[in-house]
Amino acid sequence: MQTRRSFLKFGAGAAAVGALAPLTVSANLSDVKWDEEHEVVIVGSGFAGLAAAVEAGKLGAKDIVIFEKLGVYGGNSTLNAGQACFANTDLQKQLGIEDSAELMVQDQLKSGRGYASEELLRHSAELGPYIYQLTKDCGCIYRDHIINTGGTSATRSHQVIERSGAGFIRPMLKAARGYGVKTKIRHKFEHLITAKDGTVLGIQVRKGYHFGHEDSGKLINIRAEKGVLIATGGFGANVKFRQALDPNLGAEVGCTNARGATGDGLIAMIAEGAMPVHLSFIQSGPWASPDEGGFGYGAGFSLYNFPHSVAIDRNTGQRFMNETADRKTRADLEVLRRDKDGKPNPALLIAPKHEAKKDPSMANVLKYNVAWEFDSVEAIAKHFDVPLKPLKKQIEDWNTYVKAGEDSQFGKRMNMSTGIYLTAPFIVQRLWPKVHYCQGGIQINTKSEVIAAKTGEKIPGLYAAGEVSGGVHGVSRLGGCSTPECMAFGVTAVRSMMKA
Amino acid sequence: MKKINTLLLLILGTCLAMSAQAQNKREYHEMVYDSGCKSCHDQGMKAFPSDNSCLQCHDMAELAEQTKREGHDAKQNPHDSMHYGQEAPCMECHGEHTPKKAICMDCHNFKYPKFKYEHK
Repeated sequence: MQTRRSFLKFGAGAAAVGALAPLTVSANLSDVKWDEEHEVVIVGSGFAGLAAAVEAGKLGAKDIVIFEKLGVYGGNSTLNAGQACFANTDLQKQLGIEDSAELMVQDQLKSGRGYASEELLRHSAELGPYIYQLTKDCGCIYRDHIINTGGTSATRSHQVIERSGAGFIRPMLKAARGYGVKTKIRHKFEHLITAKDGTVLGIQVRKGYHFGHEDSGKLINIRAEKGVLIATGGFGANVKFRQALDPNLGAEVGCTNARGATGDGLIAMIAEGAMPVHLSFIQSGPWASPDEGGFGYGAGFSLYNFPHSVAIDRNTGQRFMNETADRKTRADLEVLRRDKDGKPNPALLIAPKHEAKKDPSMANVLKYNVAWEFDSVEAIAKHFDVPLKPLKKQIEDWNTYVKAGEDSQFGKRMNMSTGIYLTAPFIVQRLWPKVHYCQGGIQINTKSEVIAAKTGEKIPGLYAAGEVSGGVHGVSRLGGCSTPECMAFGVTAVRSMMKA
Repeated sequence: MKKINTLLLLILGTCLAMSAQAQNKREYHEMVYDSGCKSCHDQGMKAFPSDNSCLQCHDMAELAEQTKREGHDAKQNPHDSMHYGQEAPCMECHGEHTPKKAICMDCHNFKYPKFKYEHK
């Protein structure tokens, strides 16, 4: 029976504990009591973490653990269209697509606008066919259709049949467990535990953590025998952090990320002196819909339909961009679509139903009010208050570009829309960018080693892979190019650890 | 003085929160309340119950069967979804003392008409 007195006592005690808690963070190493020890310690259960775990299993590691902060596995990696750009695969050859790692690197360098790392991009692209095979060995199944994502000079975005990252995450999680990998939810990474010389010895984890309840669970110390891989993803869902880096990305801007994308891993590494790079390069997805939350269904619909569809400004009834330009080009142009008071007036993606229906995304967007069907140009103009004449003219002009195989208006690559005319009935979805990906993060090298700001040298025992790392893509990342990069550097981190 | 005021406020806030929590019960769990808080709070009263707690009475495979959806919607089964299979812990979507929303709703406009105590 709790009396009022004992309750008051408890209240005061809890407040005192709260005030003292931060002091434990800077405890001396000699005070560290290890609660657990593992050979390979991985933080995060997305693409990078799972690929690392599978590779560690393949390399014969006996004691591998993955700590996941949320109650579910996969983090942000399970919330996307399930695409991965690989160059020079058997599927590309079957479909008659000529491609190479070199061409993929060149495309990405262009989109990086002078800031991308050629060395890291090449490392990732060259590992592509290995990663493609690794995912297939885990049980991931690819569609026969390869997607043409923006900014690429060859069609190379391989997509799993689920058309979602879940099509990678769930088979890879299963495969990892098959290697004996211990997977733990509700384990939040708090900070690194380092020796005096900066070598990372382990991590502190909050076990039993419930997202949003920062004091939940209890702190335990984990010793890492071979190394710690931080694969915690980006910070897109951390509004204060992202807005400090880009004032345009406040709370009114949507975000495609999982709720856990708060940058904890990044912040903890910065605290230990790791080198932050390109943090202000935050990418918005140009395929997002304002008519649903997060990544949703709209993104998949746009991705499939961009090559043979037009994006229309509602004020002018005309196109305003190359619908398959790189993400930054499109997102920057989309966000300028405003009404006369400057309020958002999202552009319209108009797709021909005869082609849209070939992809399962159409049924989803129609069912959940993310897109709508119209049987004429007049009906679209009336519903969305678009000037009819210019819209009609624009669609007629577009169809002449399809016929000619050349887009004289915006120079779009037309070899993916051959013979696909824009005719009624139409499917229309609204477009408004959402924060999607952080190009910036912690600096790594081609061994996935984390670089110290002070020395420019590696921090012993510490590895990073995936969105938490930075400097790979530069100003803007191409679509489908994070998934293979996450996996490539996850695999690389573990190879380095096992050799060290 | 200021410190003491802050402390008092903190305590008062906690009391209010606790009493609100005590009132917020699910009527279909009356039996569980009768057998005491600890029948769910298996990790002490200050902590969230463990993820296994609800599974003392509920079976995930059975729940998956109950909320099964056909054809196009099959993967939207909240107890056996495309993203998380049958592994999403109950407390990701359900709250015993607080209204909550299914985790799917972060991104999707799904309709779960039988979902009780939804946070709007």
